[in-house]
This record gives sequence, C-alpha cells and structure tokens, in this order.
Amino acid sequence: MEDAFPAFVLHSEAVKPPMNDAPRNPEADSSEAAESDEELMAAFSRGAADAFSALFLRYKQPLFGFFRRRVADPAQAEELTQETFIAVLRAAARYQQTALFRTWLYAIGFKILRAHRRKTAFRATFLGEQPADLEPATQSTIEAQVLMRHAVGKLDPLDREVLLLREFEQLSYAEIAELLSLPFNTVRSRLFRALMALHGLLAAPAPHSSAQEFAQSKERL
Amino acid sequence: MNTATHPVAPEEVMAFLDGELSSAEAQTVSAHLDQCAECAGLAAQFRSTSQLLSGWTVPPVPSSLEESVMAQAAKAADRPRHEKPGRTMQLSFWNWRLWAVGAGGAVTVVLILVAYVASTIYYGDHPRSNPKMAMMVESHEVSEYAPSRAQSQQTDVMKGKIPAAAAGVAQLDSLKDAKSLPEARAIGGGGAPAEAPAATAPMIARTVSLEIIVKDLSISRASLDGILARHRGYAAELTVLAQGPPPYGLTASLRIPAPELAAALADLKALGRVDRESQSGEEVTQQHRDLAARIQNSRETEERLRTILEQRTGKIQDVLQVEEEIARVRGEIESMEAEQQALEHRVDFASVELELVEDYKAQLNPPAPSVSNRIHNAFVAGARSAAEMLLGFVLFVEESGPVLLIWLAILGVPVFLLWRRYRRVKAKF
Repeated sequence: MEDAFPAFVLHSEAVKPPMNDAPRNPEADSSEAAESDEELMAAFSRGAADAFSALFLRYKQPLFGFFRRRVADPAQAEELTQETFIAVLRAAARYQQTALFRTWLYAIGFKILRAHRRKTAFRATFLGEQPADLEPATQSTIEAQVLMRHAVGKLDPLDREVLLLREFEQLSYAEIAELLSLPFNTVRSRLFRALMALHGLLAAPAPHSSAQEFAQSKERL
Repeated sequence: MNTATHPVAPEEVMAFLDGELSSAEAQTVSAHLDQCAECAGLAAQFRSTSQLLSGWTVPPVPSSLEESVMAQAAKAADRPRHEKPGRTMQLSFWNWRLWAVGAGGAVTVVLILVAYVASTIYYGDHPRSNPKMAMMVESHEVSEYAPSRAQSQQTDVMKGKIPAAAAGVAQLDSLKDAKSLPEARAIGGGGAPAEAPAATAPMIARTVSLEIIVKDLSISRASLDGILARHRGYAAELTVLAQGPPPYGLTASLRIPAPELAAALADLKALGRVDRESQSGEEVTQQHRDLAARIQNSRETEERLRTILEQRTGKIQDVLQVEEEIARVRGEIESMEAEQQALEHRVDFASVELELVEDYKAQLNPPAPSVSNRIHNAFVAGARSAAEMLLGFVLFVEESGPVLLIWLAILGVPVFLLWRRYRRVKAKF
C-alpha cells in the first residue's frame, strides 16, 4: 500500500479545508505553473536566481505558519523562517532530488525549531529567562479559536506535531514518518489518536481550567 | 466499532479523508460510508475537527522577511556558481585557521631555534656544563697529576728519604705487590716524606664505577686477572655469582695504581659492552697537609719528652708520668701515620668498582610443559586473576563507595533536578 501513497496524495480528491498558508501560491503558479518544487530547486542549484524567488513565494507563508504555530513570539517565528530560507540557500548545492523539496524544507525547519527549543529551554532553566509574551493580535482572537488552540496544546507533544504537520503543512503520512523518524503506521495511529482526543476536548472543554493554565496553553501555541 | 461489524477500521476512514488510501481501498471505504451511518458520522466528525483547525490562521509574512531573504539570495547569486556556497564559507574559514596555525608554527620553530642557539653559546663558554668539555678537563687534571706525583717521589728518592723500591711508584717498575708503596713510606719514617707531594701538586683520590655486559663470564674473569697483573693492581674484594637463575655476574672492588688507571680502564672496557660508567675524584691535599703538620708537632713533642726524660732527674713517679706521656704521643703519631698512609694509598691506587654481568642466553630447548599442565596452569591463572579482579572491585567499592555516594548526592541531585526542570521547560515549547 505504501508504494501508492505519493501519487495518490498528489491527486487526492479528499476535501481539505482551505488554509491561508497553503503551499501553492497563486501568484507563483501563474509564472512557474509548469515547474515542480524539485525542478525549481534543481534550477536554483545550477544558478537560476528566479527559481529561488518562485520557491520563496510558494513557501514563505507555509513556513512562517509552521513556525508561528509552534513559537509564541512572532518575531522569533519570523527569524526562524528567515534562518530556514538562508539554510536552504547555503545548502542548495548539496540538494539531491531523491527527496521531495517540501519534506527537505520542513526537515530543515524542524532542525532549526528543535535547536530554538533547546536554546529557549536552556535559557529558561539555567538563566531564568522568561519566554516572550503573546502578540496582542492573538489575544483578541475569538473564543472558539482560543479554545481550539487550548485543546491542541493539551495533546501529547508528538501527537500534536503529527496533527499540525498533517492539518497545516498538509504533509502525507509518509512524509511525516520520514520527517519525525517514525514508522508509517505509528504516524497514522498517532494522528487518529490526536484527532479523537481533540474532538473530545473540543466537545467538552475543561470547565475548571484556571486562567493561568489557559494562558500557558495559549503561550504554548 | 470493530472490524467484525465494520469491514473498515476507523483509521481507514481517516486515511480515506486524507487521501492516503489506494484507489481500491478508497472505493471500498467510500462504498461503506454510503451504507454505514456510524462510519459516516465518524467521517463528519473528522471533517468538522479539520474545519475547526482551519480557523487557526496566522498573519501574513512580514515584508521585512522577504527583503532580507531576497537580499541573501542576491548575494548567493552573485557568487561564482562553480563554488558551492556552503563550501566557500568553509574554505575561507579553514583558510583563516590555516594561516593562524601556520603563523603559530613558524613562531614556535623560530623560538626553538633561538633557544637552541642560545644554549649552544652558553655551553660553549662553560666547560663544566658541557659534558664533553668536562671530560676533557677531567682527563687533563689526571694527566697533570700523574707526573707530579712521579716527580715528587723521584725527589724523595734523590733525598734518600724513601728507598728506591718504593720510589718506583712513579715508574711502576718495582710495584710487585700493592703494599710496597705504603710500606716504603712507613719505612721512610722521619716525617719529611709526606710533605713533598703535598707541597707540589694536588692529591686526588679517584673512584670509578663500571658496569659491563660480557658474553662469557669465565673468560672475562680470566681476562680480569690478566688485566690486574698487567697493571699491577689487585682486587680488594671479589664476588662471583655463577649459580642459580641467570643472569650470572661478578662484582669486584679493584685497586689500580693511579697512573695506570686510564690504560686499565681501557682494558676493562674491552671485556664487553659498557652499560654504565661513572668517575669521580676527591681532592685530599688539605687533609694530607693537616695530618703531616699534626704528625710533625707530635714528633717534636715526643722528642722534647725524650730529652726531658734523658736530661732531667726526679722522682720515680715523675719519670713514670713522662714515660706514659711519651707512650700516648707515640700512639697518636702511629695512628696519624696510619691515617696518612691510607690517604696516600687512596691517592696512589684508584678504586674501581666493577660489575660484570653475563648476557642472558635463553635455553634452546627448554623443557616444555605437557598440554594438561598448561591447561591446568591457564585455568588456575585465569581463576586467580578473576578472583583478584573481583576482590579488587569489592575493595574499591568498600574503600571509595562512601565517598562516591557523598559526591553523587552532592552533585547528582542538583543535576537531576536541573535536568528534570529542563525537560519540563523544553516540553512547553
């Protein structure tokens, strides 16, 4: 079954809700419609600067969303996004078309995110630095969204990561398995567990959750 | 919901919605969803959850991000394409490192050269610090001393203070046995003989220590006797070890006439391979002079006492007292003369501490132990070493365990608490 995944994923007829950070940028699609991500990356590694611009236009919003949903401070999310693109620039010569560009890009993003988490945790633990507060725009979000983020924040960390990668980065199960170094079936079962748990949390939100816990949950998101 | 009542698992419904099933499986699930209200409800639940999640939007990318990334891209595009961007940075980094390492290495080499040249110049001006130079000076002193002694003894002969047989020390013709010289000096009596050498040249008692590896101990022993006879020396002490486990050897304390020392040493070194050699010289000139002066004084005292005894008359008690005093002074004189003779003997005869060690030769056909013995021995040795290791471990734990536990408590608990806090904080991000 696994061998049928990539083709089927790309041409899936399953209905997915539209995202504001969908990987495909319409503006880019109009000029580079014929070229895949991998072709663009190969062209860039050969010296075509326009190819990188096209890739950047396609992935700037998804990558920013990737970091923004995982890092509390928007400035840090922006910084990490920039860092990831710069890493892509530097590693372009080493890029090989054995992997999908999207998987490769998110793998770089994940490495940078993990390094950031390690650094932040170390500073908070040993240097007593507190993480940045949430942006004002997030605090004024409607209550339903805040509750949903609260619920996502309560999920098991790995389940949450699988869910976010599937729902927002729209990676296939195989891509998630590769990215997180997990077996394929584990990804599917964890995703299922995350969806069921999330549904349960959204159906019956904790009535006695304290304001501090709520704020912490938001901060985590 | 189970597979007995539902041919489709809930995870498959989710995978179907995610487009993760093959076309055949997707058709099966799709058909089942049309028929099964429960599974259709589950699918609707998944869709609604996804719908809710889709409301989690993020603000658009700041324009500053695009500007900075595109600026970096422009820089990368300006680089020549044959150079890999990451590699270029690495190369420049390594080049910088290489330059630093090269400069450091050059400075180190220059410093070593300067230190070497400086030490060479210093040794050049300071013969005692230079082993080769020191050896040359030492040998010069020896050769300088030898003729002086010979000359002084010739002088004594001319004055008739010592017999011609003893004076032969200078030319070594009459030294048939080692005691001839001290005896000759003693015979000379009178006190004057000791003064001559002290006045002319420094008196040095030489001591040499030699360790030589020889091929065959019995042959070397015979050669040693020949060397002693040839150079008119003798063995003050000699011990031969020729039994028991090898290596066999010989230890001897030799006395060689000082003028013959260099030649005798050369012959001794020819016995085998010199493994260790040391030489030292002790100047006893002042000591000898003091002794001579004291002897002279005592003799004069004795002479005066004898004169008193012969010329004065008195009570018998006084006579006896003078005779006692003469006997005491005579005893002192003899004791000092013996000391003087020993000192002169040390000067006239160099002391050579010789050690001959036979080269160890393994037996060509050692008796081989039987196989069973070897197995037994190996087992015993293995068991013994295992027991020793265990015992050592137990002793170590007993000895260091309490201290280790204290340190573990001092360091381990805070580290564990910090680590746990770190993990908790990390999980939040």
